[in-house]
Amino acid sequence: MAFEHIEAFLRPTSIPEAVRVLRREGRRARVVAGGTGAALRENRTIRTLVDVSRLGLQYIRRKGGGWAIGAATTMCALEESRQIREFASGILAAAAASCGSVQNRNMITLGGSLANAWAAGDTATPLLALDASIVVANSRGRCRVPLAEFFLDPNCVILNGALLVEIAIPAPPRGGRRGWSFQKLGRTESDISIVNCAAGLQVDRAGKCAWARIALGAVEPTPLRARQAEAALIGQTLSADSIAAACDALMQEIQPIADFRASAEYRREMSAVMARRALRECAERAGCPL
Amino acid sequence: MSNDYSVVGKRVTKVDGFKLVTGRPAFADDIAVPGMLIGKILPSPYAHARITHIDASKALALPGVHTILTYKDVPRVPHTTAGQAWPEPSPYDTYLLDSKVRFVGDRVAAVAAETRALAEEALRLIEVEYEVLPPVLDMEHAMDPGAPLIHDEPDSTGIFDARHNLAAYILQEIGNVEVGFRAADFIFEREYRTPRQQHCSIEPHVTLSWLDADNRLVIRSSTQVPYHARRQVAMILQIPVQRIRVIKPRIGGGFGGKQEMLLEDICGALTLATHRPVKIEFTREEEFYMSRSRHPQILRIKMGVMHDGTIVANHLKVLATTGAYGSHSSTVQGSTGSKVLPLYRTEHMKFECHVVYTNTPVAGAFRGYGCPQGFFAQESLVDEISHDLGMDPLEFRRKNFIHIGDIDNLAAQLGEGKKGLPRTIRSCGLPECVERGAAAADWERKRKAPQDPASHIRRGIGVACSMQGSGIAGIDWASALLKMNEDGSFNLQVGASDLGTGSDTVLAQIAAETLSVSLNKFIVYSADTDFTPFDVGAYASSTTIISGGAVKKAAENVREQILRVASRMLETPVENLTCRGNQVVTKCECKKSVSMTDLALHAMYKEKTQIMGHASHFNTDSPPPFCVQFAEVEVDTETGRIRVPHLVTAVDLGVAINPMQAEGQAEGAVLQSLGYALAEEMQLDDCGRMINRGFADYKIFTAKDMPKLTTILVETEEPLGPYGAKAIAEIPINAPAPAVANAIFHAIGVRFRKLPIRPEEVLRALREKETNEEASSVEPAGAPMSRATRRN
Amino acid sequence: MKTIAIRVKINGEAKEWIIAPGDLLLDVLRREGYWGVKRGCETGECGACTVLVNGRPINSCLLFAAQAEGCDLLTIEGVAKDDTLDPIQEIFLEHGAVQCGYCTPGMILCTKALLERNSAPTEDDVRDALAGNYCRCTGLRKPIEAVLAAAEAYRANGGKKTARAVKARAR
Repeated sequence: MAFEHIEAFLRPTSIPEAVRVLRREGRRARVVAGGTGAALRENRTIRTLVDVSRLGLQYIRRKGGGWAIGAATTMCALEESRQIREFASGILAAAAASCGSVQNRNMITLGGSLANAWAAGDTATPLLALDASIVVANSRGRCRVPLAEFFLDPNCVILNGALLVEIAIPAPPRGGRRGWSFQKLGRTESDISIVNCAAGLQVDRAGKCAWARIALGAVEPTPLRARQAEAALIGQTLSADSIAAACDALMQEIQPIADFRASAEYRREMSAVMARRALRECAERAGCPL
Repeated sequence: MSNDYSVVGKRVTKVDGFKLVTGRPAFADDIAVPGMLIGKILPSPYAHARITHIDASKALALPGVHTILTYKDVPRVPHTTAGQAWPEPSPYDTYLLDSKVRFVGDRVAAVAAETRALAEEALRLIEVEYEVLPPVLDMEHAMDPGAPLIHDEPDSTGIFDARHNLAAYILQEIGNVEVGFRAADFIFEREYRTPRQQHCSIEPHVTLSWLDADNRLVIRSSTQVPYHARRQVAMILQIPVQRIRVIKPRIGGGFGGKQEMLLEDICGALTLATHRPVKIEFTREEEFYMSRSRHPQILRIKMGVMHDGTIVANHLKVLATTGAYGSHSSTVQGSTGSKVLPLYRTEHMKFECHVVYTNTPVAGAFRGYGCPQGFFAQESLVDEISHDLGMDPLEFRRKNFIHIGDIDNLAAQLGEGKKGLPRTIRSCGLPECVERGAAAADWERKRKAPQDPASHIRRGIGVACSMQGSGIAGIDWASALLKMNEDGSFNLQVGASDLGTGSDTVLAQIAAETLSVSLNKFIVYSADTDFTPFDVGAYASSTTIISGGAVKKAAENVREQILRVASRMLETPVENLTCRGNQVVTKCECKKSVSMTDLALHAMYKEKTQIMGHASHFNTDSPPPFCVQFAEVEVDTETGRIRVPHLVTAVDLGVAINPMQAEGQAEGAVLQSLGYALAEEMQLDDCGRMINRGFADYKIFTAKDMPKLTTILVETEEPLGPYGAKAIAEIPINAPAPAVANAIFHAIGVRFRKLPIRPEEVLRALREKETNEEASSVEPAGAPMSRATRRN
Repeated sequence: MKTIAIRVKINGEAKEWIIAPGDLLLDVLRREGYWGVKRGCETGECGACTVLVNGRPINSCLLFAAQAEGCDLLTIEGVAKDDTLDPIQEIFLEHGAVQCGYCTPGMILCTKALLERNSAPTEDDVRDALAGNYCRCTGLRKPIEAVLAAAEAYRANGGKKTARAVKARAR
């Protein structure tokens, strides 16, 4: 592939410098963290590459019961991190491990997959279920944007002249009897998702669902939380029936895309299937198998 | 059998293995040619259009662009790109560059520039105006009255009926099927559909060309057919064959996609126009839609059977499309008849086929060559019949199988472009394949195993059988040259094209066995039209049996020369001598011997003679290999996903010259067939443009999808093959798809007659079945089906 | 056009390359004579272009050469020592895991990287390690067996790599 239109490859040594460069270059610049050559292929207006891999943005840190993950952290780093594997039943590690081949996972970064809305990046789904936010460094300092809000911004306006530096995951709700699960469906074992689902729930002492989070990816143009399905579960006794009812609600609330991989109807049905499997696994992991 | 030999039958490592595991430069693109330009082809954006205006001046003005060729700049020579022996049986309907484009991806122009970036820029600057014509995209309507004519040019030849977009028409009959159907107790008729599959060789097509010091055109290409390419380039560029040299280096896979003269002509044309070396390398995207693919078919098969399961009539009707050009159109489809129907003995067989043009990506040769399509239909139908008759599927097949000693007369009807030759079955391991395969697959137990009612996974096991050919009788031929060096080593020069198949190794093993010399004494060179003698190339499963036959003859000739020299050296008659263990030894008690090394030195420097032999070889028959394959499936009834946990292949390949390589060939073929069955399909939009033109979108099976594979080599001794060998390269790709479809029926009681079997369709069928509460069958849209009709 | 100089360590050797800012590592490697790094898809799918960067397998078709500044690269050319094959290479040959050989450099590098991190991989680990090395020839069975055998050989030698001398000949 020929990228002869690239005029400069810059490697800022500090975040403020990176932000300055991005502001200056505007739409002519593209951030490079892992390997984004493929993404660049379609865009011949890019003139400047800005390498952010030496800004110290590869980290996984505990923060107030939650996590702060540097935007340049690779999928491999996430799947290999014992702490991430143990956190929230390992859903983030599982999603990272499903992001393509080993070679892909050594290159794709958490920030990169979010910023590029890269189809194969399934990590957005568990992050959404975990109520994560992105931290963006711009000329005014840093700001925090909840992922759900970020996904409402199809042109990623918030990243103009700015740099996604961190993904912040708040501490999940406390207490016992919690379980999380990540499920993915593709055409083959190494495929981009047709549907993926990240879910979590907690069962209270009375056997009722105290809270539920259900996030779906690859179903709509951006990942979503199935709020009505979540609401249908909360306060209900956790059972096969209540999960089925929640999945029915889920099928009603989503607007699945259709493409050559799968029809909208199939995605709708599979969303329910994946959600049901995820919720059942959550229940099992919460110590309340159905 | 193969146990009796010292090199043949041994699991030796490949003779070219060292350079492959060390990544030494050995493939077409692994050279730096000074002054090389990059060539690129401007593809048509339309499926069917005339070029009304083409202006390359802006592109030519770009510094670093050396030439741009359009149809106005090159000779107009109708030809076929099919890599076939002359005279090729495919229509001469293709042009180096034409003023009409016939599929999205067809050649519009070609550019040679200093860099890839410049070449791409130049393509963007070529101004083209098109008169867009209505395309024919649906093969079922290609022959309709009033359908747009794809080949309306006056100078193409060999097209069966251009006015109806009919590239080829085949009709052959043995006996009289109507008589057979009248006698039958039951008649079964079904329709099946198979998709467009792409070879996906990991190395794309790549060709380099340059003018050497003698101003000859040298072409270095990733090709299976160097000699055919040379002949065709000569014809197209209108230069003598003598002025062209084609070099075939290591190839990164072909599977039939490189049994085609695809880039050599245009690359050579760019070299002639610029007097510079030029390289054209397809990107993966271009590879998907601008190269070749498997012919999609609609197959309607009708069998008449008796109560006891005897097949009395077999009628197969096929509609296929060859895409925009007729490469391999009659021969692939011919094989769908000639290699498929005769698997089951019956007095009455009929094969009828229409191969139509459509404005779609061009189909060509692809491993199996019409057989995967045919066996999907036949082996699925046979499974249905045995089920409806209440017979065990293996029992039904055993009842009807072709036998050793049988003569296949259908083969006589369907040669490559002319009358073929009847095929006598001199070796047939089908019964042993069935027995050993069934045991390895745990068939008996798994056929009866109950489903787990608590699980959403349904399990099943299915079987399918196939046959193939080994070389094209009376047409495929090969030659070999073997020369001895003074240290007792040998140069083995063959035109045979090792495309990763391991043929260099297998041929060296044959030579080594014949001369009783170690394998490491051979320097194998394949292939180069200046230095290696003729070979049709790697296709039709011909290399081991035909090229191997030539090698064996050449080695026998060299052996005689060696013995004569030894006779003089040892002063003993030739009859008293034999070759053994890198030596020539006496058979008698005196135990005299001479090493090959000493003998070579003596021959060269004392007798002043070069020990050297050559031979040519062809067969007038094509002994079929046979194969029985068992597939286990797990159907996820919630998602429709099909998983194949285990696939067993039991294959009669004659004698296995190199069992390890043979297994590898089988396993690779199986995985391609599973992709064909479950995931692979070139999808086209309403404008004839391929949608899924990349590996992210066109899914082939990877290490994570691969099932447990069991490969059983069943050896028989084929009199026509060197050391009893037949073939293995293609046959294992023929039956996994129907085996999987049959296994799915066993698991969930639903028949799928269209490939690939997609999870969505599985789910839909399961829902329908639940609704109907009885075994249903999935129909391809628009095809009426007649159920088994009972006759008295 | 402005060029930049990058410094890398490749197969143990320090090198300085003059590149264009948009050059991809795959193109630079082949241009510099590392022919064993293959071009298969240029979209990071097939893995024929795999090289190890700081010990990790990546698709060189997706990495800008400039990103490799200061990194430690290993290509297939650096696996054998002169004529002495690495056990992984030998075992691949012995198991018939090489047919056309186009995917082989990538597979061998991924195997090397796997065994450095995990000397006792399960079959699933091996399948995952090779999932990004597309192979149309072998059906993947013999490569997977070869990797498991290489792991065993590796463990038998106490985790030390031993290179057995192999004369460059057919056996």
